[in-house]
Amino acid sequence: MTSIDAAAAVDEQAPPAIQPWWSRLMRDPIALFATAVLLAIIICAIAAPLISPHDPFATSRAVMKPPIWNAGGSWDHILGTDGQGRDMLSRLFYGTRLTLIIGVVSVGLGGTFGSFIGLLAAFYPKLEPWVMRLVDVMLSFPAILLGLALVAVLGSGVTPVVIALAIASIPDTARIARSIAVSVMKQEFIEAGRAVGLSDIALFTRYLLRNCISSIMIFMSLRFGQIILIGAALSFLGLGARPPTAELGMMASQGRDFLLFAPHIAVIPSVMIFIIVLATNVLGDALRDVLDPRLRS
Amino acid sequence: MKKILMTTAALALVSAPALAAGEITVVRAIDANNYDPHKSTAQANAEIMFMLGDTLVSLAPDMKTIESGIAKEWEVSDDGLTYTFRLHDNVQFCDGKKLTADDVVYSIERWIDPETNSPVAWRAGEVESVTAIDPFTVEYKLKSPFSELLYQLAQSFGTIIDKDTVEALGPDFGVAGFNGTGPFCWVEWTPRDKMIMDKHEAYTWGAPFHKNTGPASLDRITWQIVPEENTRTVAVMTGQSEVSPYIPVIALKQLESAPGVEVVRSDLAPYTYYIGFKIDKETVSDPVVRRAINLAVDQEAMAEDLFFGEVEPAYSYVTQDALDWNHDLDDTLLKYDPEAAKKMLDEAGWVPGDDGVRAKGGVRLSPLIYTFAESTYGKQVEAVQSYLREIGIDLQIESFDATVVWGKLATQEFDMYTMGYPYVSSGDALNLYFRSENIPTPNRMNWNDEKTDELLDAGAAATDDAERAKNYGEVLKMVHDAAAWLPLYHDPMVIVQSTDLETITPHNLYGAGLYKGLDLKFKE
Amino acid sequence: MMAQITRRLLISIPVLLGVLLLGFGLLILVPGDPATVLAGPMATPEVIAKIRTDMGLDEPLAVQFGHYLLRMAHGDLGRSLISNKTVVSELLAAIGPTAELMFASLIWSVPVAIGLGTLAAVLRGSLLDRAIMAISVAGVSLPIFFIGLMMIHFVGVKWQLLPFLGRGGPLWTVEGLRHIILPAVSLGMILVGPVARMTRTSVLEVLKLDHVRTARAKGLSETSIILRHGLRNALIPVVTLIGLQAGYLLGGAVVTESIFSYPGIGRLAVGAILSSDFPLAQGTIMILALAFILINMTVDILYALLDPRMQTQ
Repeated sequence: MTSIDAAAAVDEQAPPAIQPWWSRLMRDPIALFATAVLLAIIICAIAAPLISPHDPFATSRAVMKPPIWNAGGSWDHILGTDGQGRDMLSRLFYGTRLTLIIGVVSVGLGGTFGSFIGLLAAFYPKLEPWVMRLVDVMLSFPAILLGLALVAVLGSGVTPVVIALAIASIPDTARIARSIAVSVMKQEFIEAGRAVGLSDIALFTRYLLRNCISSIMIFMSLRFGQIILIGAALSFLGLGARPPTAELGMMASQGRDFLLFAPHIAVIPSVMIFIIVLATNVLGDALRDVLDPRLRS
Repeated sequence: MKKILMTTAALALVSAPALAAGEITVVRAIDANNYDPHKSTAQANAEIMFMLGDTLVSLAPDMKTIESGIAKEWEVSDDGLTYTFRLHDNVQFCDGKKLTADDVVYSIERWIDPETNSPVAWRAGEVESVTAIDPFTVEYKLKSPFSELLYQLAQSFGTIIDKDTVEALGPDFGVAGFNGTGPFCWVEWTPRDKMIMDKHEAYTWGAPFHKNTGPASLDRITWQIVPEENTRTVAVMTGQSEVSPYIPVIALKQLESAPGVEVVRSDLAPYTYYIGFKIDKETVSDPVVRRAINLAVDQEAMAEDLFFGEVEPAYSYVTQDALDWNHDLDDTLLKYDPEAAKKMLDEAGWVPGDDGVRAKGGVRLSPLIYTFAESTYGKQVEAVQSYLREIGIDLQIESFDATVVWGKLATQEFDMYTMGYPYVSSGDALNLYFRSENIPTPNRMNWNDEKTDELLDAGAAATDDAERAKNYGEVLKMVHDAAAWLPLYHDPMVIVQSTDLETITPHNLYGAGLYKGLDLKFKE
Repeated sequence: MMAQITRRLLISIPVLLGVLLLGFGLLILVPGDPATVLAGPMATPEVIAKIRTDMGLDEPLAVQFGHYLLRMAHGDLGRSLISNKTVVSELLAAIGPTAELMFASLIWSVPVAIGLGTLAAVLRGSLLDRAIMAISVAGVSLPIFFIGLMMIHFVGVKWQLLPFLGRGGPLWTVEGLRHIILPAVSLGMILVGPVARMTRTSVLEVLKLDHVRTARAKGLSETSIILRHGLRNALIPVVTLIGLQAGYLLGGAVVTESIFSYPGIGRLAVGAILSSDFPLAQGTIMILALAFILINMTVDILYALLDPRMQTQ
């Protein structure tokens, strides 16, 4: 899927031309739109406490109120209320926030660790076979499985889900980081640096890391959508966030009980997940097209 | 041509399901931890036991009249100490073995044997001895009178089991097999998925209140676990399940007017949901805190908003109509008054900290509640959590699958727990929960009080109504004064069924709405 | 080619070790005391102590690991804490339904996806191409539980076309087939997007190759070029992709089975974890990991067989 295509693309094309990519990206109207949507969502998530019309945890007697566009909707609860009379819009802001945090933290953690070992493997070729074996082993445990295993050990909650998603992000990033770094290692300035007698640490951080980091980060952002989906699935199965926390997957799961009578309770958070992931994937595609000149035209 | 074939195939697939005649699927929310009558207190266990096995006596759907079971008749001595049961002589187990008085003796003895460690042993009364006088006569002797004995013997815990099967299966008894004398026989149990039972062809000894005294008219019943409320509802709506006693109240209005389904109810036996406090835990050991919690929760709003007015808000631990309810308490029941709750906590020194959560002497009011991972309980607990937040109590929820929750509830790890329970009288309810010998389960409150035990003994042994009511009434006053529980609501028995079946008369013994399943029948 | 396959098998060894370690880790890392859980609510301390000794929970970790490996070697995964059945028998009962579900999901989604992808490649740049690509991006972005819920809501409830509860029997029976359609459609859906996209990319690549150009110069029709030359070569990366997606599909099966109350490994795994049935949880997780490895291995070997370049090596 997205990440894999992109992986293949980056694999062959590294190091990508970093400079002009974003300006080219912004010339693509669809990518521009996806960026705008994502930005809007992120802003809403960050500003959740400021813009939420109600306390997302406060129940009320107005249960299962429909959203504004349905008969019986009111401006007081634009997206209606859930089965406990909590304001859906406010819960959506908070839920999106937690879902995004889970995604960012796990991709961030897993990506950092993954790229570190990937870069190490490229920097010290002797390490390479070991690192790659490790990565192969890790690839054999799909994220949902890791999530299940961790929840079995730690009990349900946000933390095991984040850990599982982080671990699941390691192998892909490690591979990509390595392939990007290998081509950087071939470049003259590394040789030059060695010749000048720079220490390994200096070479690693000042040259290798600095030259790889943006490509790696782009790749990590591509994985984001998938991670969000898996995290939501785990929450949906009852293995993630606990009440009264709002998290999109859990909200959808709770909404199941009302599917027949108040479908908006399940549909709204599900659609939100869809929008986030779709925007990320569209942006990822556009990014890949920009970074992989072969597929343009 | 190919296209036509495919279309035909597709049509064949979507046309009405070809369900074998005489088979039904009953959907329910949760599974039991096992199907041994002595080793589970789960309602899900009782539902199966009644069908797979028989009890000495049975209870008519009016929830009052005791009628015949395995015993066709019985006598009680004047002192209320000796019960003599005369058994049907044609009863046999599913494997064809004939039932004799020895089987009855074995079952009762296993029930009360300390080795069995049954959480429901007290229900058999203070047994002096159970003896087989002849192959079809059993003498049941008590140390002290037990006014509820016949009723308790009709419960699923009094199911007569087969010694050989118990011994042959060891720990697998009630897990891999059963062998009872009920109208249905064990086929297979897949935990958390389904329980399958087939008709017991030789069954002819059903109690006279059944339209059909046996054999059952259905060939097979599949009890399917469907944890999702909505899926249960739509399963019945679309005819994938013929019967469910576990339809969420939210769907009842709609189902009443839906074609092909019928909603039947019974208010005859009460079923009450409550939250219990472990009264020796520091977060809830202060009676003020427990009373404040009682005042903070709006049961009326809960009954109306979460359960659509289909349930009755509860302020008492048994319904106020229940036998032996103490009407002196009617005006003292704790009703919604959050301001009074806050004031009470302030005065008792429980003051809010920076995060709004109250604390006193280093104890933060963030009690931990254990509950079932199932949506009815989920809704109750989340609502209570929100009410408590209003008065500065931060309720922590931990929910467990129905297969493990019973084990968890037997520990001392939690401060509060949720439960729904069926009963027929105040005595039934109080004996279950407030006897010190029932610690840690079902007396999960750790209610350890000599006076209570004495009063309960006196109530159970009382031979006249006024005295029994007086003793039980006093216990009711004690536990209500101590706010040992937070009652939530009284739930009626509601069964949703397909109109293809004859209208079901709901039973409610231990919440088992279908009871023996003898009258489950497709319309002709 | 044999060397290729042997190498592939050798790579699996550390992975298998990883699975074993994971399984062991699961059992020793569980919070609380498995013996207490196993004993049930009515157990006396003596019973718990006996179980602890029986399970070897008091011994040092290394010894426990040794015991564990021995048990694994004998195919002994212990007994479920809930049903008291052997984990192996529980797994055996659930593996068939899951295999059926995977099969039923693949059997429709892969051809559909390859068809769509090829169509998009042939008509590249057209409106249809864009539509197909848009749908496939949307497809990968949909939460799988949402697909399942909507299937139940519309196909199952509103239109009452198909059952959505459990398994109706083996796949070759009418009821079995009727019951598997909705879960298989939901699960297969997650594969359509990525496979269609990969097919499109891959077919486009192949169409640029020399021998395809030659064929075109010879005057063969576009359709026969694609069918004869394009598709076969284009399928190689697609097969790899399907292998890579297997994990995702297995993960999806966990969700799908739960939604449709389908009695497969995934539902068993979730149930076991939710009910702290550690031996069963361990068994299900290990079997899922094994399945994943097996699928990947098969795909790699298939790849070796399919790829003419590999054969000549």
